[in-house]
Amino acid sequence: MHHVSNFYGNLIVLKSQEIWYNHEISCNFSQPKNIHPPVAFHTLMFGWEYPPLHSGGLGVACQGLVRGLMRNGVQVTLVLPHASGQAEPGLDIRFPTDEQCATVNVPSLLQPYDGSASYRNRLSAACVPQEVGELYGQDLGEAVERFTALSVELTKNTDPDVVHCHDWMTYDAGIRAARHHERPLVAHVHATEFDRTDFHPNEWIAGRERHGLLAADRIIAVSGYTRNMLVQHYGIPEDKIAVVHNGHDAERIEATDILQSQYGGTERPLVLFLGRLTVQKNPWQFLEIAHRIHAIDPHVQFVLAGDGPMLGTLIERTCDLGLQDTVIFTGKLSQPEVRSLFTRANCFVMPSLSEPFGLVALEAIAHNTPVIISRQSGVAEVLDHAFKVDYWDADKMADCILTILREKPLADQLVSEAPGILRRLSWQNQAAHVRSIYHQLIQ
Amino acid sequence: MTPNICFYFQVHQPYRLRDLRITEIGRDGVDYFDHAKNGAIFRKVAEKCYLPANALMLELLRQYPAFRISYSLSGVFLDQCEEYGTDVLASFQALAATGQVEFLAETYYHSLASIRSLPEFCDQVSMHVSRIQELFGKTPRVFRNTELIYKNEIAQMAREMGFEGILAEGADHLLAGRSPNEPFRPPRFDLPRDVSRLIADHRPLTKQSNDMLILLKNYRLSDDVAFRFSDRSWIGFPLTADTFTDWLIAGGGFCVNLFMDYETFGEHQWADTGIFEFIHALPRIWRERGVGTATPSQIVDAWASRQTHVYDAHAVISWADIERDLSAWLGNRIQHAAVDGIYGLEQAVKETGDPELLRSWRKLQTSDHFYHMSTKYWSDGDVHKYFSPYESPYEAYRRYSHALCDLRQRAADAPKTQVPGRNQASIFEGLRRFLSILNTPFAIRNS
Repeated sequence: MHHVSNFYGNLIVLKSQEIWYNHEISCNFSQPKNIHPPVAFHTLMFGWEYPPLHSGGLGVACQGLVRGLMRNGVQVTLVLPHASGQAEPGLDIRFPTDEQCATVNVPSLLQPYDGSASYRNRLSAACVPQEVGELYGQDLGEAVERFTALSVELTKNTDPDVVHCHDWMTYDAGIRAARHHERPLVAHVHATEFDRTDFHPNEWIAGRERHGLLAADRIIAVSGYTRNMLVQHYGIPEDKIAVVHNGHDAERIEATDILQSQYGGTERPLVLFLGRLTVQKNPWQFLEIAHRIHAIDPHVQFVLAGDGPMLGTLIERTCDLGLQDTVIFTGKLSQPEVRSLFTRANCFVMPSLSEPFGLVALEAIAHNTPVIISRQSGVAEVLDHAFKVDYWDADKMADCILTILREKPLADQLVSEAPGILRRLSWQNQAAHVRSIYHQLIQ
Repeated sequence: MTPNICFYFQVHQPYRLRDLRITEIGRDGVDYFDHAKNGAIFRKVAEKCYLPANALMLELLRQYPAFRISYSLSGVFLDQCEEYGTDVLASFQALAATGQVEFLAETYYHSLASIRSLPEFCDQVSMHVSRIQELFGKTPRVFRNTELIYKNEIAQMAREMGFEGILAEGADHLLAGRSPNEPFRPPRFDLPRDVSRLIADHRPLTKQSNDMLILLKNYRLSDDVAFRFSDRSWIGFPLTADTFTDWLIAGGGFCVNLFMDYETFGEHQWADTGIFEFIHALPRIWRERGVGTATPSQIVDAWASRQTHVYDAHAVISWADIERDLSAWLGNRIQHAAVDGIYGLEQAVKETGDPELLRSWRKLQTSDHFYHMSTKYWSDGDVHKYFSPYESPYEAYRRYSHALCDLRQRAADAPKTQVPGRNQASIFEGLRRFLSILNTPFAIRNS
């Protein structure tokens, strides 16, 4: 398995260089010869999740960035903790084999720090897909340790210019690999422990984050909101942090219409929440909003799409509020189902407590759905054609939703103007910023 | 011969909307407007602009008896003076008392009525004229429409209302190389008979005027002061009163019309830019160099029946933005929905005969409400966003649409005290036809 992937990887590396050289040649045709072509960088990237096996924005963002970098002529070697990454032309993906895992002895970090209930919460809050959790037993700490231990072994035949790691689970792997290859380290922050826990961080995780951020030569935050978080809560100097907002690449796949019949056709207006049912995403507030709207317009239907540790509590709350016939819980959905739901929804709400970016809002916009987003989010910095409301203001969110449902010209206006941001925030553009950060570091 | 300088300053403040909620619609006595904010903004602008600028103008008018300036004070501004600043009103009255200041007529509510409802247009101009007479003891002779919205028909309507002059933007495409520094005339034609009859019934002045002159804004020289004065990247920076006078004289012609918002002084251009010193120096330099000043009606009188060019505005123009059209107020769906919504309530509101309802309906006609919904420069990442009291054009529309819903409900619930007579119903019908003609070129261009 390992050999196959390695062989495949090298083959691809060659291909990607070929593409790059072609690009140089085409540059030479149009530019004077004395201009040096840009250097072809090689980034060694440590990721934690990657489509199709992913639970949230981290995997999607990672994939977008990898593809964007390759389109910018950057050679990428991506190391993942598990055999999940979608093979794609030009990308060298590596992950440990079962035999390698078996040779590494790492102490379990679970016992000294938390009980199993809080560990489970952390596991889900840390965006670890259940399937991945099962791959590594039930100990996230152990999984992280193993990944770190194998980081050099998996990459010693590479010759990167820069090492780039994504979120705390990969920081130690990144630090170790950067030291081994004697290359600068970029830490990319997609979320912090403060976002995930409503500012009640698990000290162990926050400690790992701080350690990684201090060790990095440069930090990329997915928003100004996240940069402020790093400055305020982690004491990181502001000038060490660059902001590169996440991008979005539209993938046009035909939506299935399974959901149309399931949710009662199109006559009832539908308001959508989509995300993991965790404290951070604030689904509780969505029910508060639904409660207020239901009192004014009982016709409106609400859908909570996604699963997570709060599911049980949320269902209880729905019944307490008398909303059992108004709110639908879908559980985790497939991509076509998500698309169909976005298309069907009259309005999408992202009430997150603290959202480093919020790619899901761009998804909604790509499906021509008007959006209402928490002001405590990174995406609020780049979205103009949306309602932005403080996450705690359920009254105002309800009011914005009701206005969108009542005023067709408003919904039409939002939908016609909002997609402009998708053109500006393509992954190719955003990866070009990352590339220039590499450039500064290498020089 | 040196040209006359014609200064006209626009003074206006809208009633900004409160953070209305859907749950308030239909409740007793819902107030649409944010009194705390309106009061605070009025006082801020009063301290920075109105009071110091009026004090300066008064000093200059006293020191230079030949110095002339003109103002257009919107009715909603005058209402706010009563609510938030009688000192400001008194300072304008002191200017009026010098006899060197002219006050122009406009729509009381600084509205788009001229392009949406002729009866309402006539009513608002009449209301404004009476208010100016009452406060300043003078009857306006020259009309200036909201944001210099202008079209051939509007000039004819103003003439039939009794005005002898009208202000308009000196738009390059209509000037076609001619100088804006001379009065122009609109093309002569007859308005439909029912339109003329309606104007005659609601005429703000005693009789219609035989002649009509158009004073065109010299936008280059006006904007040098209003927009560029403190722009350090501008080649003319820093602008001195001497240099500016050189430019005025070099332009030649009969009159140079410098039209601008009064808030230029102290609010758009802060006091520390030297804008007050600049204005202070002008009358002295102009006297030394033989440059006269005149008010719009003095220009009209001085030009008398002399021949002049025709300014032919088939499509609507205004002084807003680079486009100089209606797109700042009617550029997107929410703006159209809001404007259609408010004027769609005219008959229902007027039939109630309820003065409070009528006043609320009219305050919602102020053009600023629609301007704040513009998404023209709200494109992603654009730094040239419109100044707005609201967080976004969508927030402006959210508040406005709630007010509209409440008003619609109140109008529907109120007893009808004024049943439309034959006359009135047919007037509405005739005017709708006329206004659809009036709006046609804009609609075609938009589609």
